[in-house]
Amino acid sequence: MVRFKNRWLLVEFIPCPQDDALPSIRRTSESNITSKDIYAAMKQSVLHNFGDTGWGAVGYSLTVKYFSPTTNICIIRVGRDQHKIAWGAVTLLSTIEGRRFIPNVVQVSGTIKHAQFAAIQHNHIVVARYRALAKTPAGYQDTYGSFLDASTKEIEALQD
Amino acid sequence: MYFDLNVPVTSPPLPRQAQPTKGKGKQAVVPVAVTYSSAQITAIEHRIDLLVHLGYSVLAFNQTVQRKIDPKTFVNVLDPLLAQLRKRTDVVYLKRLTIVLDDESEKGFGLTNNHQPLVAPYDLLSLAPTTHGSFSLACLTHTLPSPLTTHIISLPLTLPRLPFHLKHTTVRTALKNGAVFEINYAGAMEGEGKRNWWAGARELVRVTKGKGVLVSGSVNNEWDLRAPRDVANLITLLGLPQDVAHHAATTIPKSLVVRAQTRRTYRAILSEPRIVIPQPDSTQPHPEPQQAAEVALDQAIDSTESNEAVASAIPSSQAIEPAPASTQPVDLRNSKKRPLEEDKDSVQPGGSGDGSERKKKKKKNKAKGGGAS
Repeated sequence: MVRFKNRWLLVEFIPCPQDDALPSIRRTSESNITSKDIYAAMKQSVLHNFGDTGWGAVGYSLTVKYFSPTTNICIIRVGRDQHKIAWGAVTLLSTIEGRRFIPNVVQVSGTIKHAQFAAIQHNHIVVARYRALAKTPAGYQDTYGSFLDASTKEIEALQD
Repeated sequence: MYFDLNVPVTSPPLPRQAQPTKGKGKQAVVPVAVTYSSAQITAIEHRIDLLVHLGYSVLAFNQTVQRKIDPKTFVNVLDPLLAQLRKRTDVVYLKRLTIVLDDESEKGFGLTNNHQPLVAPYDLLSLAPTTHGSFSLACLTHTLPSPLTTHIISLPLTLPRLPFHLKHTTVRTALKNGAVFEINYAGAMEGEGKRNWWAGARELVRVTKGKGVLVSGSVNNEWDLRAPRDVANLITLLGLPQDVAHHAATTIPKSLVVRAQTRRTYRAILSEPRIVIPQPDSTQPHPEPQQAAEVALDQAIDSTESNEAVASAIPSSQAIEPAPASTQPVDLRNSKKRPLEEDKDSVQPGGSGDGSERKKKKKKNKAKGGGAS
């Protein structure tokens, strides 16, 4: 018996500045997107770009496993055979809930373990970038440290 | 190392909304010295930061000219831009000029020798044919090695149908001359041309069989930018194997940029030939190998004879000393036949000639490899 094989996409959604012409649903409320929104947007993208057969291939195994609104990273699971369709759908995605994002697939891995490692590493990189932008003095204690600890725990708790 | 060989640049005199949906840059029509406002520089810097974050490390800024190069109105907008940009250590900037060809430019679109000073500052030249005549012109005439070679042929993939039939022989000639065909992934992102893009790109992939396909951006809106690996995955959805899709953003543009440097050399020759006059009375030109001391006298005579034979076999125009240190002119295009003939001549029983001959052969082979790539 062969187990069911997956691909785990670690996707970073880089937010874009809004342009005013874009009709958006959540224009006024600045609430963050959730993993449910991402799933819905993925479904729309697959249906739009690959049609019903594409969604039939992908939909059964597609799951959004994790999303962090602070660093905008997301772990998506999809069956190995169809992962190219899902990846293409992620690439062709440009709006989630009326907001512009650039999807950037950081890593594609075969086990959740390596997706977790990559996610933790990516969180560190993003936090380092935020700290460099903030230009705070050397001894300054910011909230990012506790966020890193929390997110690392959260990511490590993910199960198959 | 990932390449984006098409980063459109808005020229300063024109407003931003001139042609927002076309996937092509803008035309520079004002013959004045170009200076960019600080807002524009900030926008371009932001775009570069984003591209670097996505993983690109070689960026070619693209200036687009419609129909033909008119020396009266032509302005190089990229040189002042590069002077104003912040220096980055890990990013390479290139300059690219694209000429969009239509019916009228079939008579001539300004890529002639007297306009050479205008196009010389650009690292890459490219043509975007929109008619049948200009397409075959671009493929057959303008890919031949010269200071005005165009190396990139960019097709209008987002039109409802390609305006011409991609003939196999024409495409193959262009590929043989070292041109590449460009797919701009921006077409897959932007609104109405999306479906046409998939059809056009598939057709291009079918005709070229995946060889010499270059993927670049040509992205006008910031949110249409994509990371190079994502783009490679999109290209695999066109029916190309994974490795070819990967090469389309790495190896092919890399060799293309190197090949484009041959525009600055004479007839695409990369090495610098140096004439070495052989000295008639030099006693022993090169040190003998260890075992050569042990061979008999007649074999030594043999080897000197064969050295002379080699020297006479090489045409006098090249004037090469038979010593191993001589440099040979390397012609990238014409070096197909000669090494074999010489190797036939230089086969000899042992002796001192061997080392030098082997070295020469290696050099020739290298030259051949460079020519074929």
